[in-house]
Amino acid sequence: MPYHEFEASKCIPERKQHAVIKGPGEDLSHALPKGYLNTIPGSISERGCAYCGAKHVIGTPMKDVIHISHGPVGCTYDTWQTKRYISDNNNFQLKYTFATDVKEKHIVFGAEPLLKKNIHEAFDAFPEIKRMTIYQTCATALIGDDIDAIAQEVMEERPDVDIFVCNSPGFAGPSQSGGHHKINIAWINQKVGTVEPEITSDYVINYVGEYNIQGDQEVMLDFFNRMGIQVLSTFTGNGSYDGLRAMHRAHLNVLECARSAEYICDELRARYGIPRLDIDGFGFEPLSGSLRKIGLFFGIEDRAEAIIAEETAKWKPQLDWYKERLKGKRVCLWPGGSKLWHWAHVIEEEMGLKVVSVYTKFGHQGDMEKGISRCSEGALAIDDPNELEGLEAIEMLKPDVIFTGKRPGEVAKKAGVPYLNAHGYHNGPYKGYEGWVRFARDIYNAIYSPMHQLSNLDISKDEIPTDNGFLTRKMLSDATLPPEVVNDPILKQYDGKLDPIPDLRAKTYPVFPKKEPAPVAAE
Amino acid sequence: MTCHVVPKERAGVVNPIFTCQPAGAQFASIGVKDCIGIVHGGQGCVMFVRLLISQHLKESFEIASSSLHEDGAVFGALNRVEEAVDVLLSRYPHVKVVPIITTCSTEVIGDDVDGVITKLEEGLLAEKFAGREVHLLAMHQPSFVGSMISGYDLAVRDFVKKFAEKGEPSEKITLITGWVNPGDVKELKHLLKEMEIEANVLFEIESFDSPLLPSKDNVNHGNTTVEDLRNTANAKATFVLNRYEGGKAADFLKKKHKVPSVIGPTPIGIRNTDTFLKQLSDVTGKPIPKKLVHERGVALDAIADISHMFLAEKKVAIYGAPDLVIGLAEFCLDLEMRPKLLLLGDDNSKYVEDPRIKALQENVDHEMEIVTNADFWELEDRIKNKGLELDLILGHSKGRFISIDYGIPMVRVGFPTYDRAGLYRYPVVGYNGAAWLAEQMANTLFQDMENKKNKEWVLNVW
Ligand code: SF4
Ligand code: SF4
Repeated sequence: MPYHEFEASKCIPERKQHAVIKGPGEDLSHALPKGYLNTIPGSISERGCAYCGAKHVIGTPMKDVIHISHGPVGCTYDTWQTKRYISDNNNFQLKYTFATDVKEKHIVFGAEPLLKKNIHEAFDAFPEIKRMTIYQTCATALIGDDIDAIAQEVMEERPDVDIFVCNSPGFAGPSQSGGHHKINIAWINQKVGTVEPEITSDYVINYVGEYNIQGDQEVMLDFFNRMGIQVLSTFTGNGSYDGLRAMHRAHLNVLECARSAEYICDELRARYGIPRLDIDGFGFEPLSGSLRKIGLFFGIEDRAEAIIAEETAKWKPQLDWYKERLKGKRVCLWPGGSKLWHWAHVIEEEMGLKVVSVYTKFGHQGDMEKGISRCSEGALAIDDPNELEGLEAIEMLKPDVIFTGKRPGEVAKKAGVPYLNAHGYHNGPYKGYEGWVRFARDIYNAIYSPMHQLSNLDISKDEIPTDNGFLTRKMLSDATLPPEVVNDPILKQYDGKLDPIPDLRAKTYPVFPKKEPAPVAAE
Repeated sequence: MTCHVVPKERAGVVNPIFTCQPAGAQFASIGVKDCIGIVHGGQGCVMFVRLLISQHLKESFEIASSSLHEDGAVFGALNRVEEAVDVLLSRYPHVKVVPIITTCSTEVIGDDVDGVITKLEEGLLAEKFAGREVHLLAMHQPSFVGSMISGYDLAVRDFVKKFAEKGEPSEKITLITGWVNPGDVKELKHLLKEMEIEANVLFEIESFDSPLLPSKDNVNHGNTTVEDLRNTANAKATFVLNRYEGGKAADFLKKKHKVPSVIGPTPIGIRNTDTFLKQLSDVTGKPIPKKLVHERGVALDAIADISHMFLAEKKVAIYGAPDLVIGLAEFCLDLEMRPKLLLLGDDNSKYVEDPRIKALQENVDHEMEIVTNADFWELEDRIKNKGLELDLILGHSKGRFISIDYGIPMVRVGFPTYDRAGLYRYPVVGYNGAAWLAEQMANTLFQDMENKKNKEWVLNVW
C-alpha cells in the first residue's frame, strides 16, 4: 500500500507516513498510516485537547451533574453549547456550565480556596442537583492544585453530595483521545462500585460509549426496553451519575464507541469479570447483528428477531428509496475518531455510496486498520489531517459530499461540496433503523440540493437554463434512473416525524417478569 | 429612581458571558491580510475558538497551534514555537505576519516568547527564509487576566506597536472598529465614503461575508495590510469606536507618534452616529453631506413610528461586550425603553469610571442595575428567584436558554450569534444599524405577542 505524499506537505517529510492509498487487492501488511503521534506544530491540525476529550466528549453528557472546570473561564466557555448531547431531564448538562474563574492572584497563591468556594456556591445555586464532576485544566494542573483533597473536604462537609474529579489537562496527550482514557480510568477508580442498584430484570447491561447525540441513546434504549433488558447505566449520554456508579452489577457491557470508551469496559472485565460485547447502532445489518448478539448472550434471540423483523419491514423500503438515488456518489468520510470504521463499509453496502477517503483526527492505528479494511480500493486514508491536505484531497477526489465537522464543512462548501455534520448530525438521530433512514435522507438532501447545483453555474459565461422556475431534488435525482425504479411501488421516501424523540419518551413497555434472583457478578 | 453598579458577589462563574483573552487575539489576527497566528498552548485553545468564530461567521479561516503536549508543559515548549513557525511559513508561502499568541499554560510555564522571536529572526528567518518579508510578533495573552475583550484590545495594540512607523503625514484617519461584524465594517466604510474620508481600517473583515463562487475560490482572509498598520502612525487621528476594544492602541499611537485620538462613542443608535459624524467632520474638515441627512431621515422615519407607540417602557436586559451593551442601552433609552439590567462580563475595574456609565447613573428615571464581572446566573437568578420582569433580552447566543426557558423574547446581537442565520451580515452601527435594531426589537416583540396571545396580537396594524 503506497504512502500518499501531499504536495502541501512535501516540506514536512514525517507527514508522508500519515496518509495511504489502498491499492488493488491490498491488505494491511504493507503499510498503515501512523496514528496518535504528537501533532506537528503549525500544521493547522484539527485536533482538540485532552481536557475537551474528557470533559466535552465523555463527562458532560452525564445529565444530572454540575460540571465545573477548574481554571480560567475560557476552556469552559469554549466547550459549552457546541455539541448536541441531549438528555431527558430538560438538558441540564447542556444548559449549565461552571468555571472557577482562576485569576492571576490564584496562579500565584494557589486556587484551592477558590475551588472550594465555587463548589459550595454551585450546590447552593442548584439545590436539587447533588452530584458534581470537577475537571482540571492546563492552568490548574501546572500550579498543582490538589483537587481531590478539596473534593473530599466538601463531601465531608456536605454528606448528601458526591463529587468526581477528572485530572486531564489540555496538554495530556496528542489529542482529545488522551482525555478519553483518563476519564475512563478515573471513573472506574473513583466511582464504580459505590452504589448498589436495584436489579429488576434477568438481563442487565451497561450501555457504553454512547453520547446521545440528538437522541441516539434513547433510540437504542427503546430496543433494549423492548427486549426486556435493564440498562443500569449509559456511559455517558443521557446517563445518570448514580447509575454509572453501579456499573459493576451489569451482566454485560455493550460497547458502542470503542475509541472513547473501551478502556472502562476492559477494566470492568478485569476487575468484575463483566464481558464486553462490541455493537453498532449505525446501519440495518450492523444493528440487527448487534441485537442478535445481545439476544444470543441472554438467550432471548426471539425478542431480538421480533424487533429486527418489525423495524426492517417498516424502514427498509425507505432506506432503499435513497439507496437507489445515492448509488455511486462519492463520499469523504472525515469524522473525529471511530465513525470512520462504524460507517465506512455500511454506507457503501446499504446506501450505495462510495467512500473515496477516510480520515481521523484522533483515532489510533487500530481505528485506521479497521477503517481501511472496511473501505474499498483507491480510498485515501489520512491520519491527523490538516487544512491544506484536506483541500488537496477534495481537489483530487472530487467528492459529492463530505461528512465532517462544522468548520472544515465551511471549507468544503466553498469548494462546491456540501457537507454533513458527522459529530452533531443535521436532522438526527442517526442510530436505529429509522435513524439510518434519516441519515440517508440528509445525505440525499445535501447531494441533490438545488441550491448547490445553482452555485456551480457561472452566469458570466455558462449557458443559463431558462426553462425551469424551480427544480426539486427528485427532478435532479430521478432524471437518470430507470422508470421501474422511479415507479417502484414499494420504495418510498422518508415519512417519519421531524423529531422522533418525544414519542419515544412517552412510550410504555411490556413487563417481562423476572425469573430468578439476580446473579451476583464476581468481585 | 436609581441605577446601581454592583460587582458579582460569587467567586465562580455559572454560564460565562465571555471567553478568555487568547480568543480576542485570535479574532483580531484573522482581520490582517497574509496573517496566520500561532497560538502557543494546548490545541483546545485554538480548535474551539476557531469553531466558535466559524459558527458565528459561517466561514472558515486559519489559525495555527504550537500543539503543546506533556513534555512541553514540563520542560518548556519554545522548540514547538520554532517548529511551528518553520512549518507554517514553509507551507503557506504568502504568509507575512505571524503573531505568537500565548495562553494560560505557556504563561504559567514562563516560556520566553520574545526571546524565541529574536532567535528565529536571527536564525530561521535570516537563513531559510532570507529575502522573504516575514514579521513575527509576541502577543502575551494569559487567560487568567481580563477576558476576550481585553485580549482583543491588547492584540490591536500589539499589531499597531509592531508596525506603526512615522513617515509623511497623511490625510487618512485610522478607524479601529472594535470587535464587530462584517456588516458593521461595511456600514462604517459606507459612512466614511459618503463623508469622503479615507481610512486605515482595523480590521477589514468585510470579506468574511464571502461568496460561494463557481470558481470555487475558497480562501477567506481579512484585508488590513501591513501598510495600513504602518500608516496608523501618520494618520490625522485615531478613531476608536469601542473604548475597550482598541483604546490601548490609540493610547500607544498618541504617546509614541503623537496621533490625536477620538475615543467613542460606539455609533449605535441615531444620536451616537450623529456624534461620530460630527467628530469625523471636526477632525477632517469635511462637511456632513445631504446624502447622510437623507439616510438618517429614512432611519428615523422607520423608527419614529415604533418607538413611542410600541417600544416605549418595554423592560430590557442587555449583556455582552461593554461598549456594545452601553451603546445599546443608550439607544434603548432614546427609544423610550427601560434597560433594567446591564451585564458586563469581566472584572475590568475601569467600567465604573466610564463616563457613559456615570451618565446612566445620574440620569435614568427607572430602577436599573449594572453588574460587572457578570455571568449569566446574574440574569437568570434575578428572573427565577428575585422577581425581575423583562419584556426583552439583547445579547449573544450563549444566553439563549434563558430566553427559551423563561419565555422572554430575545434579539441576538454581538458575538457569537450562531443560533440565528446571517446576523453577521447586518450592521448595528450607523443609521442603517439603528433602523435594523429597532425593527428587529419590534418584530421580535410582535412575534412574542402573537405566540403568547397577548393583547396586541388581535390586530397589529399601524
Ligand atoms: S487553556 Fe487557558 S487559554 Fe486555553 S482555552 Fe483554557 S483558559 Fe483559555
Ligand atoms: S463517536 Fe467519535 S467523536 Fe464521538 S466519542 Fe467516539 S470517537 Fe469521539
